[in-house]
Amino acid sequence: MDYLLHILILVCIYSVLAVSLDLLAGHTGLLSMAHGAFYGLGAYTSALLALRLGSPFLVGTLLGMLVGALLSLVVSLPSLRLRGDYFVIATFGFQMIVWGVFNNWTEVTRGPLGIPGIPQPAVFGWVIKSHAGFMVLAALLAVLAHWVVGRITGSPFGRVLRAIREDELLAQSLGKNVFRFKVSAFAVSAALAAMAGSLYAHYVTFIDPTSFTVMESILVISMVIIGGAGSPWGPLIGTTMLVVLPEALRFLGFPSSVAANMRQIFYGVLLVVMMMGRPRGLVGRYGFSR
Amino acid sequence: MFPQLLANALIAASIYGLVALGFGLIYSTTRFFHFAHGAIYTSAAYLGFLFAVWCGFRFPLAFTLAIGAASLLGVLIEIGVYRRLRRNNATSIVLLLSSLGVLIAAQNSLSLTFGDSSKSLHRGIAGEALQLWGARITSLQLTMIVVSFALWLLTWVLIRFTRLGRMIRAVGNDPELSRVVGVDADKVIVVVYAWGSGLAAAAAILAALDTDMTPMIGFNALLVGVVAAIVGGIGSIQGSLLGALLVGLAQHLGVWKLPTQWQDAIVFLTLLIFLLLRPQGFLGRPIRKAEV
Repeated sequence: MDYLLHILILVCIYSVLAVSLDLLAGHTGLLSMAHGAFYGLGAYTSALLALRLGSPFLVGTLLGMLVGALLSLVVSLPSLRLRGDYFVIATFGFQMIVWGVFNNWTEVTRGPLGIPGIPQPAVFGWVIKSHAGFMVLAALLAVLAHWVVGRITGSPFGRVLRAIREDELLAQSLGKNVFRFKVSAFAVSAALAAMAGSLYAHYVTFIDPTSFTVMESILVISMVIIGGAGSPWGPLIGTTMLVVLPEALRFLGFPSSVAANMRQIFYGVLLVVMMMGRPRGLVGRYGFSR
Repeated sequence: MFPQLLANALIAASIYGLVALGFGLIYSTTRFFHFAHGAIYTSAAYLGFLFAVWCGFRFPLAFTLAIGAASLLGVLIEIGVYRRLRRNNATSIVLLLSSLGVLIAAQNSLSLTFGDSSKSLHRGIAGEALQLWGARITSLQLTMIVVSFALWLLTWVLIRFTRLGRMIRAVGNDPELSRVVGVDADKVIVVVYAWGSGLAAAAAILAALDTDMTPMIGFNALLVGVVAAIVGGIGSIQGSLLGALLVGLAQHLGVWKLPTQWQDAIVFLTLLIFLLLRPQGFLGRPIRKAEV
């Protein structure tokens, strides 16, 4: 039972990452490879605040989101002027630098040793200890993230984002401040990714840099693309597929080291197959083409 | 201290330079970031290990086979994946994503086959250490630099002065137009993938002779190689050399003041600074926004 709940909690956490990336990649057309970095920023901020200052879960999460949003400016302000694939490379660079900081700034992050003993979350005085309790919290935050992204993309603001995705020059010629729209979308997306990070840190109670690598970013991108970019349910479907299906490998009797590789081969191949056969993903509306 | 750091930078640059050269050549012909280049690199090193250690072939034979097989792999990726995508008018982002998929699948297949523990090709062939202007450098490392420079020179001559090179530049410039004048773009692109992959494979073998290999080497070499290519000016042959030297210097001179583990962060900081101030790199032509 706990195992089943564990899978569901992972689906919730990753669906927050996927839906927030979709705001940026699917709706605005900006493929970011830095989502793992923002995920990690949320996790480290919240974990360190909880351990050093004893701050409660919600405060840590909010501050983590703030850090994510602020640092998103560091990457979005300079690199949003770059076109398609150069933007990808710039976010890639940011991801590598942030990861380097997690791994090397040992005075604060303890580097590869990681941070153990992160307290379990307490919401309004109620300490969540059981898997079931955490499941409720994770589900609530996942619903919140989906609701926020849904509200944004359903609003006139979201319509402008999609206009930018389809034709940036046209959106600009209609008097939209394209740059500001992109920066805001990036900040919201980064803050939501940081929220997922905080949730993750307080769930597993131990974090180290290996959870926030560029491979993690690519995994989230795959979730969005395989499920379908720019659609309300695509990211959730992609997340569920990529979290649940590899777990099935365990039941087929593969040892966990082999299963880890198989899982990555699985989503690597799936990414190629999708791009060749169905670039819009399973239920998506946007195929990174024009 | 200083001459040694300079020598280390040069040795590193000889590897990055070849990766960047192949990557840039492929970019300037097909106009997208071919991340699976890293998979070719790793495959070449492990194929070298397979032929030399498992099959027990002599080094020259083993390495020729490994480089040949790796460049064939590059061609297969082009024909099996990229060409089909291009037929569907895929954007450069779609091509980039699919090449990421290839990279991840290939890297993990290698790690499944050979395991994650580090493998080594070098059985006491590093040669004796030479003292050059106060720097210690093994004869193997000197060979790396010489071979790398020779391959760079060969590529430069090929692209600049031969008929084939003119065709390659033509396809990179305008595939449609080159088709009109009777250049078979698909064939030219296959040649580019074979040559570019061969360069990465040669770099991988050279590096594997000097240091151990793990399934991650290709990814790391690719990242630094991409930075070198962009910093130098992507698509420019002289740029790949210049970029590799600059990245090598940034990495190794940075170590003067900072602990070694910050090397990668320095490399990517260099990248971000370039993307911000001069996205076309040292020698590249300015990027026009209308080219989206």
